[in-house]
Amino acid sequence: MLDGRYSQWAELIYLLVLKELKVRYKRSVLGFLWAIANPLMFALVYWVAFKFIMRVQMENYIVFILTGLFPWAWLSLSVTQGTGSFINNLSLVRRVTLPKLILPLSNVMQEMVHFVFAIPVVFFIIVITGESIHPLLLLWQIPLMLVLQTLFVFPLTVIGAVLNVYVRDVQYLVGILFSAFFFITPMVYPLSIVPENYQQYFKLNPAYWLIDSWRNVFSGNILPLAHLAWVLGSIAGFSLLAAWIYHRLASRIAELV
Amino acid sequence: MSMIDVNGVWKTYRNHPQLGIKERLVGKRVPVEEGRFARSWALRDISFQVDAGRSLGIVGHNGTGKSTLLSLILGTIKEDRGTIKRKGRIGAMLELGSGCHPDLTGRENIFLNGAILGLRIAEIKQKLDSIIAFSELGAAIDLPMRTYSSGMSARLSFSVLAHAHHDALLIDEILAVGDASFQTKCSAYFRDYTAQGGTLVVVSHSLQAIQDLCVDGLWLHEGKLVQQGPISNIVKNYLNSRDDVFT
Repeated sequence: MLDGRYSQWAELIYLLVLKELKVRYKRSVLGFLWAIANPLMFALVYWVAFKFIMRVQMENYIVFILTGLFPWAWLSLSVTQGTGSFINNLSLVRRVTLPKLILPLSNVMQEMVHFVFAIPVVFFIIVITGESIHPLLLLWQIPLMLVLQTLFVFPLTVIGAVLNVYVRDVQYLVGILFSAFFFITPMVYPLSIVPENYQQYFKLNPAYWLIDSWRNVFSGNILPLAHLAWVLGSIAGFSLLAAWIYHRLASRIAELV
Repeated sequence: MSMIDVNGVWKTYRNHPQLGIKERLVGKRVPVEEGRFARSWALRDISFQVDAGRSLGIVGHNGTGKSTLLSLILGTIKEDRGTIKRKGRIGAMLELGSGCHPDLTGRENIFLNGAILGLRIAEIKQKLDSIIAFSELGAAIDLPMRTYSSGMSARLSFSVLAHAHHDALLIDEILAVGDASFQTKCSAYFRDYTAQGGTLVVVSHSLQAIQDLCVDGLWLHEGKLVQQGPISNIVKNYLNSRDDVFT
């Protein structure tokens, strides 16, 4: 049996995510349609840019780029926005007794929801560009990847959020770090265009394995073991680091936000 | 039976968050300030108990540590020395609109706020009509909260708080923004609440309101406990002392 508190917290996270989504779209004409229109427009822009302007010579580049960019958006938006999750929710941190980790977690979940809305867009593009979809594999691999990426992103968000309470410069550093990783991580380009003797370094980047896992899943492959190992290893490493930092620094968060 | 037992509690202000990386790298310290609001101890050696069914009113000047004390009792910040023992679930209304979002309607905020206070969604649905009725907001309940006056916000928050089950309630000033009829309603609610064994701690500068709400009193001055006793005595002594403090 689950402790009643966990299901209560789950409800609270649900309401916090719902709040963010409502607040984001409430005053727009299209409302929730934006959740799907946004990734679709995004896909179109990239398609036009790379198909007709940059003219990248890669087979089905649009699918390649979208299967990388949507998971990346989830990762980078969660961490960059979640870094502010304590200082931007001052009244929740200071004025009510609440398990504080619910705040960064609801940030991660909210971006996950946006990612989930983007999944049909990816399939739509896959189908209209004439590739095939493998429903059976997707059926269990997509939920698996959703869980893995949540576990991957959450500790990073916690680290950012806690450190940012102590040193506010962290939020800017995180922003810069993610713009750097946008290019360091083979995402808008394949790893194969990197000179071969540098490729080993690019493969030390956990984000590469996460993004490439999604690419494998979307293109109907079984998740390779190396990918799974890297992602799980990163999750373990990030979680330990986050737990250590949180354990050491969390007790004073309420008075420093 | 004491619901809240504060024993020899000290609290400092340290670790100044306004320092960024630059200041830390060059080892800069926050300059020592002087004046009425600058002191190194927020609270010094505070001890008192609140028993079940009692109501305690805390008086004192601005910046004297009243709100810090409530946060300590609530447990969102930690004491540096001493201990605070709490029994049961503690609810608090320390700030107007905490746990509400201005762009959500009053109704939506009832859910959010209720969940933050530990209510289950099913429970909130069940009590929704009663909460809205208690707030007397009527049709305004479906308007975004940014359109609310501070009195209306207080009505909404308080109605949710009154429908959550807490063994002790901490109230910081907030109710003062409500109109007369709402304040009467709150007083009636608190009388019922303490009569049924609930514990109440109130901070207020409205000495009339605090005497209406509370039986016991506690007077803080510059982080120190000056006196505790029946609220009428405390208020009287506090009023008499005011002239000395500013000289």
